Amino acid sequence: MLNLSYKGAVCAAAVALYSAVPTPGHAQEEPYDIYLSMSYSGNDWQAEASNMIKALAASSDYADKANLEVQVAGPNTQRQIQQINAMVQAGADAIVVYPISPTALNNVVRSACARGVEIIAYDGEITEPCAYNVTINQSEAGRKTAEWLVDQLDGEGDIILVNGVPGTSVDTARTQAAKEVFAQHDGINVIGEADGMWSQAVARTELNKLMSTRDWSDVDGLWMQVGCYTANAMQLESGIAPEDVAPCAGEGSNGGRIQMLPLGTEVDGAELPYAPFGAPRISYAAPPYSGAMAFKLAVDILEGKEVDKRTELPLPLITNETVQLCETGSWDEQKAGCNVFNPSLVSNPGWFASIFSEELPQLGLDAALEGQPEN
Amino acid sequence: MMDQARKQRFRYRFGMLGGSLNGMMLAARRGQAVIVTVFVFLALMWLNAGLSPYPLNYFDISFLASGGATTAIAAAGQSLVILSGGFDLSAGAVVSLVNAVLATSMDPAQEEASVLLWTLIGIGIGACVGAVNGFFVAVMRLQPIVVTLAVMFIVQGITLLVMASPGGFVSPSLGMAYLGDVIPGLLPAPVVLLLVVAVLWLWLKRTSFGVTLYAVGSDSEAAGTTGLHTKAVTFATYVLAGGLYGLAGVFVSAQTGAGDPLVGNSLLLPTFAAVVIGGTRLGGGKGGIVGPLFGAYVLMIVVNLLLSLNVSAYYSTIAESAVLMIAVLMGSLSRDSVLSKRLRDLKAGLGARRAGQLAGQRAREDRRLTFTAPGEDVPPSSFLQRHGPTLRHVLPSYICLLFVIIVSQVVLSNVFGNQRYWDSLLVLSSFLAILALGQGAVILTGGLDLSLPWCIALSGVMLTGLVGGQDIGLWIAIPIVLLVATTIGVLNGLGVVALGLSPIVVTLAMNGFLQGAALIWSDGSPAGFAPPSLRWLMTSKVMGFTPVTLFMVVFVAFAILLLNRTKFGRQVYAVGNSELAARLSGVPVGRVIVSVYVLSALCAALVGILLAGFSGQASLGMGDDYLLPSIAVVVVGGALITGGRGHYVGMLGGALLLTAMQMLLAGTSLPSAFRAVFFGVLILAAVVAIKE
Repeated sequence: MLNLSYKGAVCAAAVALYSAVPTPGHAQEEPYDIYLSMSYSGNDWQAEASNMIKALAASSDYADKANLEVQVAGPNTQRQIQQINAMVQAGADAIVVYPISPTALNNVVRSACARGVEIIAYDGEITEPCAYNVTINQSEAGRKTAEWLVDQLDGEGDIILVNGVPGTSVDTARTQAAKEVFAQHDGINVIGEADGMWSQAVARTELNKLMSTRDWSDVDGLWMQVGCYTANAMQLESGIAPEDVAPCAGEGSNGGRIQMLPLGTEVDGAELPYAPFGAPRISYAAPPYSGAMAFKLAVDILEGKEVDKRTELPLPLITNETVQLCETGSWDEQKAGCNVFNPSLVSNPGWFASIFSEELPQLGLDAALEGQPEN
Repeated sequence: MMDQARKQRFRYRFGMLGGSLNGMMLAARRGQAVIVTVFVFLALMWLNAGLSPYPLNYFDISFLASGGATTAIAAAGQSLVILSGGFDLSAGAVVSLVNAVLATSMDPAQEEASVLLWTLIGIGIGACVGAVNGFFVAVMRLQPIVVTLAVMFIVQGITLLVMASPGGFVSPSLGMAYLGDVIPGLLPAPVVLLLVVAVLWLWLKRTSFGVTLYAVGSDSEAAGTTGLHTKAVTFATYVLAGGLYGLAGVFVSAQTGAGDPLVGNSLLLPTFAAVVIGGTRLGGGKGGIVGPLFGAYVLMIVVNLLLSLNVSAYYSTIAESAVLMIAVLMGSLSRDSVLSKRLRDLKAGLGARRAGQLAGQRAREDRRLTFTAPGEDVPPSSFLQRHGPTLRHVLPSYICLLFVIIVSQVVLSNVFGNQRYWDSLLVLSSFLAILALGQGAVILTGGLDLSLPWCIALSGVMLTGLVGGQDIGLWIAIPIVLLVATTIGVLNGLGVVALGLSPIVVTLAMNGFLQGAALIWSDGSPAGFAPPSLRWLMTSKVMGFTPVTLFMVVFVAFAILLLNRTKFGRQVYAVGNSELAARLSGVPVGRVIVSVYVLSALCAALVGILLAGFSGQASLGMGDDYLLPSIAVVVVGGALITGGRGHYVGMLGGALLLTAMQMLLAGTSLPSAFRAVFFGVLILAAVVAIKE
């Protein structure tokens, strides 16, 4: 009996291993094995993304459909390649990946596809055609925010750029698009540029260096990928009145959005600089729910639904006109239009606030904070 | 006489047998580390195969072989440099450069590019970078760690100039050749590639080059006086190592089929881990490259194992560090190893105490010998006589600093009379200046502390988590953070002293443990703020200066006194100059070494606390940017990486110099790729200037 079932397992394994054609679509009694290979770059984004994926997997809609197992590859591409391969060996039905490199995974992804494993990448992209990608349009993010800044300055002013990690495609796409916009306006001068590495801490160090030979009064505007919260905090520290801070394009953090709320807004647990003062800002960031979306698509694909190879998430652009405080942060409340959370709930100002997705009603604030689904 | 002759005959008769048996025993002892590495690798493979739901087939083995090959080849190169007594930080950067060059210059229309040609191009590029390293290390006699650090920055910059973002094309023919099968179903190509590397090494080892390489690594001076060509061999070692990194770059290109300018940068620490797991001794003279090849695969198979064992993501760095420690410990275990010696010492000590024979148990009375009083007519030595040698190593960093500031004035204007510039310089350099005391003290004893990044991050994260944003919380939080740091330092020190492991292994593993601890503590997202007083210290202005600058004045005074005016300071220098001489002179060597690691951890914790105040909150990656600079400022400040020489004033100068250089580059409108190149060139220029 035992022997038989063992043989059965081996047979099933052999079939799974050697059948080049995936067999999605048929009703399956066992839940799907879905693996997550995330990177870990030391910022809050990864933690939030992983919380939201875990929450979705634990939600009543998905708990019976799929088992999720999470592994971290660190910043090491070689390790991620090995990890994906190990996941294939371990019998994954689908692998959700935060790709460390858009190109380095191509071969391992191709071989995983050939063994019938679905690969879904989120945030970063995998260029191998058999992979599914869930992402935002990075160039558009760079362009839209740059255009907003030019409008704010009426086409004239000295600005500072703080980019992300040089050498990554996300940074290149955003920065190039933004620079193209600035180049079209003769009145806009880029007087300083630094690599902020998508970190508030690095942004502060770099801005400190940039401002050592300048005065904040020389700076009319800022375009940053991460760090508007810090830049405005530094302006306040240097004695600039809250109503006079320079307009800043960028930053999807909760701290940044709290600062955008009009001066005097009632907010729980606020304390300068994590407090409302009507900072002129356009807020954008890659949404951390993209991982959860990739997980949802993985299940959809395994269930045989038609899914596009490329899923472009709507760009979460929030301006001072559209920013709105949430009371509890439930999905329903966010659907009604709120998009920033009380500091008493989100104690870390660097925490990313773009967590709302029309298509993921399982995920509210608790999902991103604690990995707890709405249902 | 008779006896002699009989012995000789006996030897003559059985010499072959006895010799080979002895030889085999000797070879086994020598190769213990390699054998253990192979054993560990096989055990992990077996465990992994046992845990996997499916039988391991050829495809899996083939994939595993290619998965570890890049790290393995790079580790082989690193191993050569380490055998020569050096250290190469440029390894990962070269891998990226070769990948970028191949991916941008291969013609996408040409599916069948020549494998041999492009391999040679890749190896050639790596060898060229290696030649630059070799020139500065062998000919200019600069310290390898700074040279390769500077070259690393330069190469990273050039890579970004070659390729700004991932993309490009690498011909599939390369992939076919390097990832395919030599004998289908039996022998994957990466295995053959590694075999070729290993066989070449085994041949090279027996040539005069190989002998000289070991001699240089064991004792460079002795090798030189014996008449060996130490310069040429050191130079050739870096060129060869560069070539191997180049080959690793070619392999990555084949493996990925495209280019990514950052692909190799994270390879650096794994190559060190692979080298030490493989039993090559840091500091040179012992080991080989076969061990490191297997070491790389041990690291790779651990990834599979973590998955099979379903280890939670936050614990993965902890598990990896544990494997690193265990593998290295097993490789060094024997009757002569430090651990067994320490155990015997401990046993003997306990026995002596029971018998009442311990020196410390004797009656306390003055047994000092009476010396004659020194002559009273010795003229007091002049200032230059007393401090000349120190000044010679300390002053250059300040001269360079002055030069950089003058250039800043010319380029950026508004520097000299600008209080904000000086304030920024002092605040930004304070982090490095504090780290320089800890790292400096460790380096003075001949060690190295690689656990700084996550010691900083863990301290910052714990602090903001514990204070609850209130000043009052500091009274509890700071003691706890410092206590944790002390524990970290003690553990680092015990690892070095009691286990007898290389400081790099211990602190590298500790870094992994701390990373796991920080992730578990913060659950991936650090909470809380720095309290107002800490933020005031780091960001407010009192009469135009940030309060922390005053704190730094006190800290610098304390550091100078500690290292130069206390018994502890003198003991640190004594241990660094010669551990044996220090021990025989009655210096408690073990205690001193443990203390410098505690000092280093405390300094890192202080930086974590101050950084949290500076940013207003803590983040997990906040220590990452401080490891290599902390080593660089110590060396740029005139200290010897092998220990014994250096002065805190010089290290402070190094911290100011590095910060001033970064501020100068940040102020220019150069693209970031050029900035990296300039930064590297400036560091090189600074160390050359210091040397002169």
